[in-house]
Amino acid sequence: MARDLALLIPEIVVLLTAVSALVAEMLRLPRIALMATLAGLLLATGLTVPLLGADTQVFSGTFRIDMLSVWAKLILLPATVLSVLLARSELGGSDREGTVYSLICLVTLGALVLAGAGDGMLLVLGLLLSGLGSFALVAYPGTETATEAAMKFFVFASVTGAVMIFGLTYWYGGTGSTLLGDLSRLDTAPVVAATGLVAVIVGLGYKASLVPFHFWAPDAYEGAPVSIAAYLSVVPKIGAILALTQVVRDLPVATGWTLVVAVVSALTMSYGYLAALVQDNMIRLLAYSSIAQAGYFLLGVVATAASPLAFESIVVFAAAYVAMNLGAFAVVMGIGRTLSAFSGLGRSHPALGVAMVVFLLSLVGIPPLAGFVGKFLLFGASIDAGFTWLTVVAILNSVLSLAVYLRVVVPIYRPRSDTVASPLAPTVLINVVWIIALLFTLGIGLAAQLLLGQLH
Amino acid sequence: MPPIVSLTLFLPLLGALLVMTLGKAPVRRVHAIGIVTSALTLAGALGMWARGVNETGFAQIEELDWMPAIGAAYRVGVDGISLPLVLMSTLLFFVTFIFSAKVRERPRAYVVLMLLLETASIGAFTALDAILFYVFFEVSLVSMYFMIAGWGHEDRQRAALMFFLYTLLGSLPLLLAILGLYLGSEPHSFDMRVWIGSPQLEGTAATLALIAMLFTFAVKTPVFPFHTWLPAAHVQAPAAGSVILAGVMLKFGTYGLVRFALQMTPEAFRDAGIVILGFGVVSALYGAFAALAQSDLKRLIAYTSVNHMGYIIVGVAIAALSLDPAIRATALDGSVLQMVSHGLVTGALFFLVGMLQDRAGTREMDRFGGLLKQVPMLGWSFVLAAFASLGLPGLAHFPAEFQIFLATLRVEPVAVIVILGIVITAGLYLKAIGRVFIDEPRKQWKTMGDLSLREVLTLGPLLILIVAVGIAPAWVLDIIHKTTAALQL
Repeated sequence: MARDLALLIPEIVVLLTAVSALVAEMLRLPRIALMATLAGLLLATGLTVPLLGADTQVFSGTFRIDMLSVWAKLILLPATVLSVLLARSELGGSDREGTVYSLICLVTLGALVLAGAGDGMLLVLGLLLSGLGSFALVAYPGTETATEAAMKFFVFASVTGAVMIFGLTYWYGGTGSTLLGDLSRLDTAPVVAATGLVAVIVGLGYKASLVPFHFWAPDAYEGAPVSIAAYLSVVPKIGAILALTQVVRDLPVATGWTLVVAVVSALTMSYGYLAALVQDNMIRLLAYSSIAQAGYFLLGVVATAASPLAFESIVVFAAAYVAMNLGAFAVVMGIGRTLSAFSGLGRSHPALGVAMVVFLLSLVGIPPLAGFVGKFLLFGASIDAGFTWLTVVAILNSVLSLAVYLRVVVPIYRPRSDTVASPLAPTVLINVVWIIALLFTLGIGLAAQLLLGQLH
Repeated sequence: MPPIVSLTLFLPLLGALLVMTLGKAPVRRVHAIGIVTSALTLAGALGMWARGVNETGFAQIEELDWMPAIGAAYRVGVDGISLPLVLMSTLLFFVTFIFSAKVRERPRAYVVLMLLLETASIGAFTALDAILFYVFFEVSLVSMYFMIAGWGHEDRQRAALMFFLYTLLGSLPLLLAILGLYLGSEPHSFDMRVWIGSPQLEGTAATLALIAMLFTFAVKTPVFPFHTWLPAAHVQAPAAGSVILAGVMLKFGTYGLVRFALQMTPEAFRDAGIVILGFGVVSALYGAFAALAQSDLKRLIAYTSVNHMGYIIVGVAIAALSLDPAIRATALDGSVLQMVSHGLVTGALFFLVGMLQDRAGTREMDRFGGLLKQVPMLGWSFVLAAFASLGLPGLAHFPAEFQIFLATLRVEPVAVIVILGIVITAGLYLKAIGRVFIDEPRKQWKTMGDLSLREVLTLGPLLILIVAVGIAPAWVLDIIHKTTAALQL
C-alpha cells in the first residue's frame, strides 16, 4: 500500500494542487491560487522524474506506472502549466478566476488517470473526471455561445460515455474481470471483443475527437475561451489517445482491432484537413487541424501490436504536438481569432510571424522541426507494423495539411491592408508561452536524441 | 585537419544568423555579408576540391552522433558525383549574391533566405545520412517557397503555393522509401553508405521503394509528365530564384536518381531501366518541342531545362542497362558533367533574361529587336550561353552530351533518337537570338544600357567556366570518373 501510494505521488500532488487552488479561491485570493497551481504542477513534474524507466503496476494492476503513463506526466503537466499561463492572460481578473485553475488541474488529473489506466473502471473514472471539468471550463465565460458549446459538449459526452460503459460490461462478461490486462483472454470470443472495442472507441474517440465523434470539438473550441480551447486540444486529447493505447496493447490482434483503428485513423486525418481547408475562423481551423492530428497519433496506436517503435513514436509525437499546437493557439490568442487578423503579421510583429510559420510548418511535418520527428517515427512504426497503405494516406494528408496551413502563412507576409484593425498586442504571458513553445518545437526537432535516449 | 565539409556546409547558416542579429543595418552591409559569406563558402568548396575524392566510396567524411537511438547521425562526405555539384552550387550562389546586390525590398529577409537555401543545397549534396538528406531537401523547399512568394512577379502567390504543394507531394514518397530501406537494414540505420554498399531490399519491396524514389526525383528533376510546376514557378520567381531553382535545385532530382534510386536499389533499377530510359527520351524531346513554342524567354529556358534534364535521365538509365563497366562509367560521366554544365549554362541564361527584364520590363521575344548593337556585351554573352545550351562543341554541354549519346549508341541505339532534341534546341535558340538581338532595332530600346560592373562580375565567372569546361573538361571529368569507374552496381 505504501509502495503503491509512493508511486502515485505525482498524481496525488496534482489532486492536492487542485484542492489548494480551490481553497485559495474560496478565500478570494486568485493570485495565490495561480501560484499554488503553477508550483504544484511543476512539483508534480519534478517528482515524476525519478519514476523514469519504471514499468510496474499499482493497486492490483488497476493503474500502470509504465513508459506511457510516466511520459504522459512529463508531457501533460508542463502543457498544463503553459495552459494555465494562457488562461491567466485571458481570464485573469474575472470573477472566480481560481476555479479555472482548480478545474484545469482536475481535468489534467483525469487525463493522467486515462493515460495510466489498467482497468476498465479507471477508464470510466478518467473520462468522467476530465469530462466534467471540461464542461465547466468551456461554459466559464457564461456567454450564450459558451453555454451552448458546453451544453453540446456535455450531451455528446454523456451519450458516448454511456455507450462506453455499456460496451465495457461485455468485456467484463467475457473475461470475468475489469482489468485491461485480462483482455488477452478474449481471443475466443470475437463478438464480445468487437462490441467492447467499438464502444471504447466511441467513448475515448469522443474525448480524442476522432472522426466520426468529433462534432463537438469545433463548436466547443469556438465557444470556449481561447486558452481553454488550447488546453482541451492538447491535454485531454493526449490522455484519451494514451488510454486507447493502454487498451489495445492487451487486445488480441485476432479481434481485428488494428484494422478498425486504422480506418478511424484514415477517416480522422482526411476529414479533419478537408474540413479545415474551408475555415476562415482560426479557432475552427485549429480545431479541425487538431482533429486531423489525432488521426496521426492513431498510426502509432495501430502499430502497438507489431512494432517496437510504436510507443516511442506516440510519446515523441505527443511532446511535439503539445509544443506546436499550444504555440499556434498562443499566437492566435495574441493576434485574433480570424484569418484576416493575420494579414501583415510578418511585418508588424516579425518574430511572432516567424514563430507562427514555424508552428504551422511543424504541424505539417516539415523537417527539422518537432512535428517531423514525431510523424517520421509514426510513419516508421506503421510501415513496420505492415500498414503501408495507412502511411500513404497519412502522407497524402500531409500535403493536404500544407494547403491548410499555407492559408495562414500566405497572409502573414502580405502587406497589411488598412481596413483591418490593428492586431491586439500580445501580453507578456502569451509571449512567454509562445517563446517556450517555439524553443521546444525547434529543440525536439534538432535534439530529438535527448528524448529518444530516455525512451530507449 | 579542419572539418572543411562541415565548415562549408554551415558557413551560410552562420551568415544568415549574423544577418538576423543585425537589426536595422544599411542595405549595403546586408548584401556585403551575403557576398562575403558565399565567397568564403566557395573557398571552402575549393578546399574540398583540393582534397579530392577516394578511389572507392566516400572521402572527407565527418561524423557526429545525432539520434543514435534510431541510428541517425550527422554524416557528411563527398565522392566524385557530389563534389562537382557542390563546387558548381557554391559558385552559383556566389554570383547570385553579387547579382542580388540590387535588391532593395526587404534585403535582410532576402539574404537570410538565400543563405539558408545555400546551406540546404550543400547539405543535400554532401549528406550521407538519409534523414539528414531529407531534412536539407525539405528545408530547400521551404526557403524557395518564401523566395518565390516574397520576391516573385505578378502571380507569385499562386505559383509559390503550387510549387510548394507539388514538390512536397513529390518529396513525401521519398520518406516512405527511406523508411522502407531503414526497416529493411539490419541493424536499423540511416547510414547511406551502408545502403549503398549492400542493397537492403529485394524483390517487391525494392521495386516499391524504387517507384517511390523515382516519383520523388521525377517531380524534382522534372521529368515529363511531372514537370508542370516548373514553368509556372520559373515565370513567377525572381531572376536569382530561377537561377538557383534551375541551376541547383533541379540537380537534387538527378543527383537523387543516381545516389538513391540507382545505388540503393540497383537490381530493381536495372529491371526498370527501359521504362526509365523511355521517360528520359520523351522528356528530352518534349522539353525541346515545348520550348520551341514559347515566346516568353524565361519559359523557353525553363523548358530547355526539361530537355537537358532528359538527357541526364537517359544517361543514368543507360548506365543501369549497360553490362560493361566502361560504358557505364562513360554514361555516368556524361550525366554528372551534364548536371554541372546545366547549372553553369542555365544559370547564365536566367541571369541574362533577368537583366533584360530589369531593363525592358518584359521577356516577350517579339518586343525586342536588334539589341546586339545596342548592348553588345549582354548580347554576345547571351549568344555564347545559348550556343552552349544547344550543345555546340567547345562549350560546356558538348562533352557531357557527347558521352551520354556515345554510351546510348553502344547500349540502346534506338534511344539515340533523343539527339533530335539538339536539332530542335538549336533551331529555337537561333530563332530567339534572331528575334531579340538581330532583327530590326526598335526605337524604344535606344536608351538601354549595357552590362554594369555588377552584372559583368555576375556573368564573368560563369561564361569563363562554360568555355573552360567545354574546351578542357578533363579537370572536372577526372574527379567524376574516379568514382564512376569504381561504381559497383
